[in-house]
Amino acid sequence: MFIHQHICISPQHTSGDVDLDVLNPSANGQLTAIEPELTGVPAGLLRRMSKAVRMGIGAGLPILQQNKVDGIIVGTANGGMNDCIKFLNQIIDYDEGMLTPGNFVQSTPNAIAGQLSLITKNQQYNATHVHLGLSFENSLIDAQMHLKEKAEGNYLVGAVDEISSYNYNIDLLAGWYSQNIENQSFYQSKLPATIAGEGAAMFLLNNNAYDALARVKDIETFHASDIETVKARFKIFAEAQNLDSETTIFLTGENGDIRFNPFYHSCEAIINDITVARFKHLSGEYPTAVSFAVWLSVFALQNKKLPGHLFKTENNLSQLNNIIIYNNYHGLQHSFISITSN
Amino acid sequence: MDKVVVTGMGIISAIGDTVAQNRQSLKKGISGIGHAKHFVSKYTQLLPFAEIDYSTSDLKKKLNITQSGATRTDLLALYAFREAIADAQLETSSLVSRQIALIGASTVGGMCLTDELYADANKKGENGSEYLLSYPNSAGAMFIQAQYNIGGIVNTFNTACSSSANAIMFGARLIKNGLATKAIVGGVDSLAKYTVNGFKSLMILSDAPCRPFERDRKGLNLGEGAAFLVLEKEKDAAGKKIYAEVKGYGNSNDAFHPSSTSPEADGPFLSMQRALQSSGLHPKQIDFINAHGTATENNDETESLAMLKLFQTPPHFASTKSYTGHTLGAAGAVEAVNTILSLYHQEIYPSLNFENKIESTGLVPVKEYGSKILNNVMSNSFGFGGNCTSLIFGKI
Repeated sequence: MFIHQHICISPQHTSGDVDLDVLNPSANGQLTAIEPELTGVPAGLLRRMSKAVRMGIGAGLPILQQNKVDGIIVGTANGGMNDCIKFLNQIIDYDEGMLTPGNFVQSTPNAIAGQLSLITKNQQYNATHVHLGLSFENSLIDAQMHLKEKAEGNYLVGAVDEISSYNYNIDLLAGWYSQNIENQSFYQSKLPATIAGEGAAMFLLNNNAYDALARVKDIETFHASDIETVKARFKIFAEAQNLDSETTIFLTGENGDIRFNPFYHSCEAIINDITVARFKHLSGEYPTAVSFAVWLSVFALQNKKLPGHLFKTENNLSQLNNIIIYNNYHGLQHSFISITSN
Repeated sequence: MDKVVVTGMGIISAIGDTVAQNRQSLKKGISGIGHAKHFVSKYTQLLPFAEIDYSTSDLKKKLNITQSGATRTDLLALYAFREAIADAQLETSSLVSRQIALIGASTVGGMCLTDELYADANKKGENGSEYLLSYPNSAGAMFIQAQYNIGGIVNTFNTACSSSANAIMFGARLIKNGLATKAIVGGVDSLAKYTVNGFKSLMILSDAPCRPFERDRKGLNLGEGAAFLVLEKEKDAAGKKIYAEVKGYGNSNDAFHPSSTSPEADGPFLSMQRALQSSGLHPKQIDFINAHGTATENNDETESLAMLKLFQTPPHFASTKSYTGHTLGAAGAVEAVNTILSLYHQEIYPSLNFENKIESTGLVPVKEYGSKILNNVMSNSFGFGGNCTSLIFGKI
């Protein structure tokens, strides 16, 4: 499965002129996405869109305008959470009075893939995966199967999640976030918490190796709360990739939360000669942050380098051809993805 | 390629908490739509609902669940899941294999706890409720995964009212693509102020029991339920009871409007047509359609139109939403179970509350219970956001 185009809207300078040397700082423990101006969206639709829908359209529409696709596949844990709770607040505040349906219709997670179809009049396969920290990975698996079933197909695959004050409150109460740490220093925070992030990344996938930006070689996902299971599965996965320390980066989802560091450190130890890089000081933590990591991997493979602030260990690369991503969401949902330059 | 077959089913809905009970209600024409006893809302007394006759604490007791944070949605999912795996004779210890997939679907997840979510999302309390991890749509599948430590691919769909039809399709494709040997697929939704008020604001809730395909229909009734199917390769199912083959599936987007189907019914037409293509069947080989049939003005007319376009003379059809209400994210799986029951027992359950044909389409659903030779049956699920999915099950 090959990646031919990719667009990423994130808290960093990742859309338009990409500049990763500048690191935008978080504020109050949040990294909020920089939204590009949307073109090609009817004003009436745009006004009603939540940030999640806008980001999804912003990343997906330019790809759809240039390509005919055989499917639109989106991963999002929360969809339009902001509209969802706005509607919920009206239910409670007005004691189930007469409500307008706008927020309700915008709040359904499938609104992003649905709007992309609607705007481009695309009547092909359309799916929304909402399996929390594996929503994006399941979207990739969906596309991978489609490309076996229909070898000549083109698929738009991506992920979107927004910070709404509501999901932020819930996750803050659940103890995932702290408002007292920032992205320049959170890897050393020694706290059981991280910072929140958001963004959208969309990819054009097909089986055509020619002129591809990168290849998604392998994906594995599973649920586990114990380190031993993760270690055992990572060992098998890493061995199958034939890793070369001079050409490979291990890109981890380390997010400063001391509860999850042991998972990442154990996997680093299994491939201890491989250079380690991290990405969550750019993206923040959110359920589909892996889509940012995949965008970043493709960018790195294209440019053959990454800025120094991404590296955790000494950079021993002579050339960059492979990136192995490991992400862990809430210590329960794990994914390994292997991206190669060909 | 190996056939993917259904070897186990589990269901809990307003017409029963087992597959056998659901079949009995369908045979006898007993609807589950009426006054809700457990669901608390301003609309509880004003509108009919298809509610499951257990309180949330009854469900906890029956399932022997004592942990905190389990919502009604999680419990209903587990209830149906347990029946499905027992029916397919799967040892619970075998579920840790990385070849066992679990594909769920839900549109409300833990949002059934509207008041708790309101307090947590707006940080009304200092510490939050016990449900902080239980709100996402994925909570039901995560709850089941954790109960059995399921080792393979686990996923959740939310494509509105077609969610669990897509879960079934995805599970069958995982097996065909060699990414799982068995997939337990389905969906769940419980009654929620969120959806009741949402559909109310769209003015598509009926104040009387719903009347699918009736000229004077007034809208849908919301229901709750969960259903799961065990899918595996036919060659792995030797000696087991086989209900049906998953013979085809089609997914499309209507690309017309966020909450209504196009007058040309492109989405429904394409999903049915693609399901036929993937099964290799001709329209004439479909013997029965369990229609989406929500009884809204828009759906029943456009679905009728799509059936007429594709089949010219549509096969027998009915909507079991006149029994179970519209169970939203669970509807695709609930209706897959009902459709497979028809196929397995070679019988058709009548659509209830029908009297007059829609003038523009002139279609009449099946009104009487009866035996019928059925070889291939279709189940339709169409949702907001234009998401349409059709499934075809064949007799083994």
